[in-house]
Amino acid sequence: MMHARHYKILMVLLAVFLVLAGTVAAQDKVKVVIFVGLGTGTDPDQITQQEALAERFNAAHDSIEIEFLIVPHDEAPTRLLAMLSGGNAPQLVGPNGISTIARFFDAWADITPFMEAEGFDTADFYAPSLELNRYPEKNTGLPLGLFPSFVIYNVDMFDAAGLDYPTADYSDTAWTYDEVRNRGLLLTLDSNGNDATMAEFDAEDIVQWGFSDAWTDTRGLLTRWGAPGIGRPTSEDYRTSTVNSEEWVNGLQWYSDGIWVDHFIPGAEQISSMETIGGSPLESGMLAMFYTHTWYLGEAILDLPFDVQVGAAPFNQKGERIARIHADNFTIPAAAEHQQEAWEVMKWLTDPAQIIDVCLIYGCVPARASVADDFRASLQAKFPDLNLDVIFESINYLDNPNHESWVPEWGRVNDALNNAGSLITSGAGTDARTVLDAASAEVQAILDEYWAGQGG
Amino acid sequence: MFNIKHWSLAQREAAAGYFFITPWLIGFTLLTLGPMITSLYFSFTDYNIIDPPVWVGLQNYTRLFNDDLFWQSLRVTLYFAVLALPSSLVLGFVLAILLNQDVPAVKIWRTIFFLPSVLSGVAVTLLWLMLFNPELGVVNKLLEEIGIKGPGWLSDPNWAVPSLVIMSLWGVGQNMIVYLAGLQGVPPDLYDAARVDGAGTLQKFRYVTLPMMTPVLFYNLVLGLIGTFSYFTQVYVATGGAGGPARSTLFYNLYLYQNAFRYNDMGYASAMAWVLFVVVLSLTALVFRSSSLWVYYEGELRGRG
Repeated sequence: MMHARHYKILMVLLAVFLVLAGTVAAQDKVKVVIFVGLGTGTDPDQITQQEALAERFNAAHDSIEIEFLIVPHDEAPTRLLAMLSGGNAPQLVGPNGISTIARFFDAWADITPFMEAEGFDTADFYAPSLELNRYPEKNTGLPLGLFPSFVIYNVDMFDAAGLDYPTADYSDTAWTYDEVRNRGLLLTLDSNGNDATMAEFDAEDIVQWGFSDAWTDTRGLLTRWGAPGIGRPTSEDYRTSTVNSEEWVNGLQWYSDGIWVDHFIPGAEQISSMETIGGSPLESGMLAMFYTHTWYLGEAILDLPFDVQVGAAPFNQKGERIARIHADNFTIPAAAEHQQEAWEVMKWLTDPAQIIDVCLIYGCVPARASVADDFRASLQAKFPDLNLDVIFESINYLDNPNHESWVPEWGRVNDALNNAGSLITSGAGTDARTVLDAASAEVQAILDEYWAGQGG
Repeated sequence: MFNIKHWSLAQREAAAGYFFITPWLIGFTLLTLGPMITSLYFSFTDYNIIDPPVWVGLQNYTRLFNDDLFWQSLRVTLYFAVLALPSSLVLGFVLAILLNQDVPAVKIWRTIFFLPSVLSGVAVTLLWLMLFNPELGVVNKLLEEIGIKGPGWLSDPNWAVPSLVIMSLWGVGQNMIVYLAGLQGVPPDLYDAARVDGAGTLQKFRYVTLPMMTPVLFYNLVLGLIGTFSYFTQVYVATGGAGGPARSTLFYNLYLYQNAFRYNDMGYASAMAWVLFVVVLSLTALVFRSSSLWVYYEGELRGRG
């Protein structure tokens, strides 16, 4: 019979062996740290869901282990830069919007070699969504989720005015920006109930506005007006500013007139008030039509004291419908040590088996057509009265080149354009051509300096 | 050589002194001096944070002088300084004089006026954003009561900086408390002597209070000068880091921040930081230099006599 002391020693040795064996086994797995925080993914419930996702992945994989590194949104950019510059790059970063990818453009690896090496089939992804990540020099990642845009409107206000709703029919060519203006004027009311077409209408005392697209930047405002570069403010080779194209001038003048001449679009002051009242212009109950994206469809929409419905993006003055889109994906840093493993994880996250769950965490529409029906069912259960055809159809009209896409000196160029936009919305400038000519000169100077630094 | 028993008392005292300040010295070297020297090096490089810095000599500094936004940010900062600095100096002084009177519950009044200055800059800014809301804010509602249509405040390019100046006066209690300490240090016999000489209230203020308070004014001026050139948090919160509307609030530090962390142009941002350092140092030196003309030190005068 074994002596008790020997038995204890044996058990301790066994425990040590097991721990060591476990450590060795764990070391055999390559850890893929997924950096979360540049976009969505940092809410407490999202963190829990991501942990569950990690458990699911880790249970199913012997050679790769994933871990979500959650960083508060405000700290995320500097933390990522510190990790990249300190030689401690995460293996995967996301979910990232197109603008985030553009902002850190040089940091990402090109996934084209991984795709080509295994002949990766992209047929199931919405074809236009693949373009959102593709640049001349690299493909930054597989599409994960999309945030299509639409007009969300206050049904009660349309009923009260006796007006037709914004169309849900994408073949209805009568739904143009002129028509948005026409209905917007009739939906804009002063405190005496006069609408903006009436002579007695008091523009200093407006209590209800017709239309707003305030929650975007200047490129976002202008991407729908059919310029050759769509949402890109430069020529295709990124060397020449196209900021003052006829289409963009026309679009910005439409907004400027809407605010300062026709008064059916609220300016910066009124938007600030609406946000204070309701959190968003539509929720304030002071706006009839709000142009926005699917990320706007939260719980708050269900509790509004009025009915809402969604309509299609209008046709522009060239007879084209361009529906702005936002998109999320995961990217592999160029400095990541285990890029092959990160690619495997990226594929897994965007695989039809997981993509709905991943998109439900991040609130996006899965970029794969094969899961559209399943996802649609879950979305319809949440918003039973919304016309989801409008939302899914919008994907076919997305803006490409996208309004958030990379250009040289992306931050400086966007800030120059946003300054132009704020001149209009604040009333400091109301002539779109003057404003955009100045912005174009500024952007051209930025581009010239960039290309001079690149050796011409 | 290191036998402490052979050291003189002065040497031992010095050693003890150095020993006790060692933690601070280490902290200063690692957390202040080190980053300063590093940023000086970065200012001569093209450094995007992701890739290693590349030496470019004086290029960042020459680029500064051709950058319209650099000049715009300097203009905005100087405009703010010209409005905010005298306002806070004068208002703090006036409040201190009022609260130096023998009035009932004066300690409670002092606490009330000092309290805002200890609140977080972010919280106070958010509060002011609501107060300054053009249509719903209390400020415009009050103006409306007296028949004035209030401006757009922070959403109006012409009013954005004045709005920030008004916001900055919220923290004037900090200055006030320093003035108050100074006022209470003015020897009462000087007032007695002035009274005997027939001085009235204004003359006592002009010929006793003001000269005796010049060292405190000088102190608040220097700190205020540095503070206005470091202005950042409030404008970052109020404008979402954009410096709008129409770049009317593009303060120097905000533009520096944008270059460093939005455009990832750390070399250029470092050059901006060093230019700011030189500007503030020069202005502070000017103030110090001018102090012999207007700052009265009691001991100094006695020395001359």
